Amino acid sequence: MKATSDFPNLNQKPADGLKEDGTPYKVLIVDDSIFVKKQLTQILQSEQFQVIDEASDGEEAIEKYKEHFPNVDLVTMDITMPKMDGITALEKIIEFDKNAKVIMISALGKQELVKKSLLLGAKNYIVKPLDRKKVLERIVMILKR
Amino acid sequence: MRVEYINPFVDAAIQILSSTVSKDISRGQISLRSSITPMMGVVIIVGLAGQVSGRIIIDMDRETALKIASAMNNETLVEFDELTTATLTELANMITGKAVTRLHELGFQFDLTPPALFTGEKIQISDNKIEALVVPIEIPQGKIEINVGIKEE
Repeated sequence: MKATSDFPNLNQKPADGLKEDGTPYKVLIVDDSIFVKKQLTQILQSEQFQVIDEASDGEEAIEKYKEHFPNVDLVTMDITMPKMDGITALEKIIEFDKNAKVIMISALGKQELVKKSLLLGAKNYIVKPLDRKKVLERIVMILKR
Repeated sequence: MRVEYINPFVDAAIQILSSTVSKDISRGQISLRSSITPMMGVVIIVGLAGQVSGRIIIDMDRETALKIASAMNNETLVEFDELTTATLTELANMITGKAVTRLHELGFQFDLTPPALFTGEKIQISDNKIEALVVPIEIPQGKIEINVGIKEE
């Protein structure tokens, strides 16, 4: 006798991290905290995104973006970092590639920072702590628009 | 020091701890701290500048710190390694970030320094030019004290 598990699950949705052709979206994670990088990596990899690289400050973020260009589908960008903050890095990445998709992820939620980032070209802004569902929803909104 | 300054930090700590560690959370009575204060063993200090100057200290014992870091990582951490310290530093970041955002909405302009984490036995903090108010917070993992010392410019 067949059990429910033997039938194909018609309701199974494809992983958020896969494009229509089945290849993964490539993500560059920028944050100076290894805890945040680990959390984000876990959230992204659980939906089959590919984390292609990471950076710990704004300068490194720009270097890595240019290195991997045009194979970066999304950048997650922290704001408070040593050497160069995330807002300055965002500005320079958009200068280099006006189609860059950057999502800000910060512990600070001040309206002026949110506004400034969005005006500079960030696609969205997430305030920590990271909620898995919210993070994925916002990323999917940016990538699949 | 105005007592209004401490509430955003305590509220933020409760919100953040509640969503990242445990919903079973309660706050104790506020008290004034003397100029020399012994710490419980794990101390995270964030500096404040701008319209005011001062610092926030998040204080807990070693066992509580490891349990909190473990809960936040969903795995058991037993040492004060890079991941544990990064986790606790990020906890302080989120608490102070949330509080400063709230204070900003209330019209106060504060800037924060990156958190500094200290561990050790018999740590004492003395700052005789700043009045500090302390609120203890209890979660199943242990007690955390939010110690806020602010001086208006």
